[in-house]
Amino acid sequence: MAESSSPGMKREDPDRNSKMSAVVVVHGGAWAIPDQLAEASVDGVKAAACEGSSVLKRGGSALDAVEAAVRALEDNPAFNAGHGATLNADGEVELDAIIMDGRTLASGAVSSVKNIANPVSLARAVMEKTAHVMLTSRGANLFAESIGVVTVPPDTLLTEYEKKEWEKHKTYVTGVDEDFNTQWAHDTVGAVAVDRAGNVACATSTGGIRNKMVGRVGDSPVIGAGGYADNLSGAVSCTGHGESILKVTLARLILSHVERGKSVADSSQLSLQYMADRVRGAGGSIVVSPSGQWAATFTTDRMAWAAVDQDVLWYGLDPDERLREQLS
Amino acid sequence: MLPVVVVHGGAGHIPKERSELSTSGVTSAVRAGYAVLRGGGSSMDAVVEAVTYLENNPAFNAGCGSVLNVKGDVEMDAFVMEGKTLGSGAVSAVRNIANPIQLARLVMDKTSHLCLTAEGAKQFARSMGVPEVPQESLITEYSRMRWRKNLAPDANPVECQMGKMGTVGAVAVDSQGNVACATSTGGILNKMEGRVGDTPCIGCGGYADNMVGAVSTTGHGEAIMKVVLAKHILYQMEQGQSVEAASDLGLACMKFRAAGLGGVITVDPQGHWAARFSSRQMAWAAAQKDTLHYGLYEGENFTQSIDVQH
Repeated sequence: MAESSSPGMKREDPDRNSKMSAVVVVHGGAWAIPDQLAEASVDGVKAAACEGSSVLKRGGSALDAVEAAVRALEDNPAFNAGHGATLNADGEVELDAIIMDGRTLASGAVSSVKNIANPVSLARAVMEKTAHVMLTSRGANLFAESIGVVTVPPDTLLTEYEKKEWEKHKTYVTGVDEDFNTQWAHDTVGAVAVDRAGNVACATSTGGIRNKMVGRVGDSPVIGAGGYADNLSGAVSCTGHGESILKVTLARLILSHVERGKSVADSSQLSLQYMADRVRGAGGSIVVSPSGQWAATFTTDRMAWAAVDQDVLWYGLDPDERLREQLS
Repeated sequence: MLPVVVVHGGAGHIPKERSELSTSGVTSAVRAGYAVLRGGGSSMDAVVEAVTYLENNPAFNAGCGSVLNVKGDVEMDAFVMEGKTLGSGAVSAVRNIANPIQLARLVMDKTSHLCLTAEGAKQFARSMGVPEVPQESLITEYSRMRWRKNLAPDANPVECQMGKMGTVGAVAVDSQGNVACATSTGGILNKMEGRVGDTPCIGCGGYADNMVGAVSTTGHGEAIMKVVLAKHILYQMEQGQSVEAASDLGLACMKFRAAGLGGVITVDPQGHWAARFSSRQMAWAAAQKDTLHYGLYEGENFTQSIDVQH
């Protein structure tokens, strides 16, 4: 099992215990990221983590931080979310996203939404401006229009790379590989954060599996699967084989272990191992606890991830990789 | 103890004049599910059969009889899950089909995905030869009346919702010890177009795992989602809580952390079952050892031999 985890700092000093440290962790997808995309993926997650971190440093909420980080990833065509999203069987872009506030358990999600540049922000609007948690398809698009969210022309979200990949898949028709699914692009993006007040939040955004059936909804917008946040335990964002993540409700599973006293790293590893054993699925997760412990863990070949914790930028791509840069 | 099947016809404040309809509806559905089990059928076959009955019964908020969205249209959600392989199928916001639960099962059996939504779900239905039905055939006078009433600016959808029957569902354990669940709904009264509730969200509207048990939920969907209710109950059972205690703990969490009321039916692989609710009523029925159990108000648990026609 390939994995990478960062146990986070232990707060032994009582003084530091009383002053909450803000942390943000992001991921840009767990899969066998090819070398030609590696640099862009790592640069992308580092930049997104820094975006999230500046929000936290200004005293912004965890919710604001995860939204900012995921927006940065959605805007980056190197990732399968917003710009650069993969195409469904009809050659169209359908997007899913979720955001959740650990303080109140409030959540917003959109599934199968079209022509929106930042689905994570639309998900936040569902949470804050409606009495619902999730909107899908045309209904989600109508809601976007009603609040003045700009619809972008379909072509804006397409990239040459994705168009080529879609063509390739159309020619060599294959079913979704059952074993571990590591070869398929799973570059869903996501972020988790804890702010100075100790509130946690998560956000996840994706274009889904390449050549998916029209209207296929994966784990990303499903509360408890693609993400979950609860001030009593922590916040999680997942990536990987969506159907497997759904079957084991991965985000909620990880936090159920945290609730029973396990570390964020152990909780993540146990849960991903369970997913591999029970449903033969691979993926990755990022977790943060209300006290600032965090982990980035994956069972796929690679996962682009980055975290900012106490002015240090941590990041990695390959298993057991933990690089760091000191931030000013 | 095996086999066993439990069904619910929604948690809410069922008006007295409709209580007979709800009781006879759930008892008919559970008889149908039990007949499947007694004939050696699987728990999945049993729950789909029971929920199909409830979808076809216009008195329930699923299939025919579904509540209307704010535009006066019917958009339905449904979910199935089997406990052996954690296989699952769901549809959300699907229109113009009579039995969303059967479409959800087709998603599980015939695709490599777990959930299809809206237009995509409809296209899939077409490709499977599932007949398209006119929306009018799904709309009842009662649902139209409630929709109209709730269009008033000062109407409270959640309150109004609780005055009608809710989501329907079933859980079962077959003679092989396999558990399954199924849940189906028209959603919340006057919901926004495209609103998806707990029902098709795995872990929320239902969950089934041979190692722990199966759950189907009903009630205020958004609140169920916030606490991932079905999974919450099963986590409690993993830690040793009984089906009844775990269900009550889940409903309490939903009430205190998400300010929502609802109901659940829960079963474990040994055949222990519970039907619990925090709302005023929940129409439910169970069949086990050739005995029919049913109730509507808190504390009710009527029993009779299954072979006596109700």
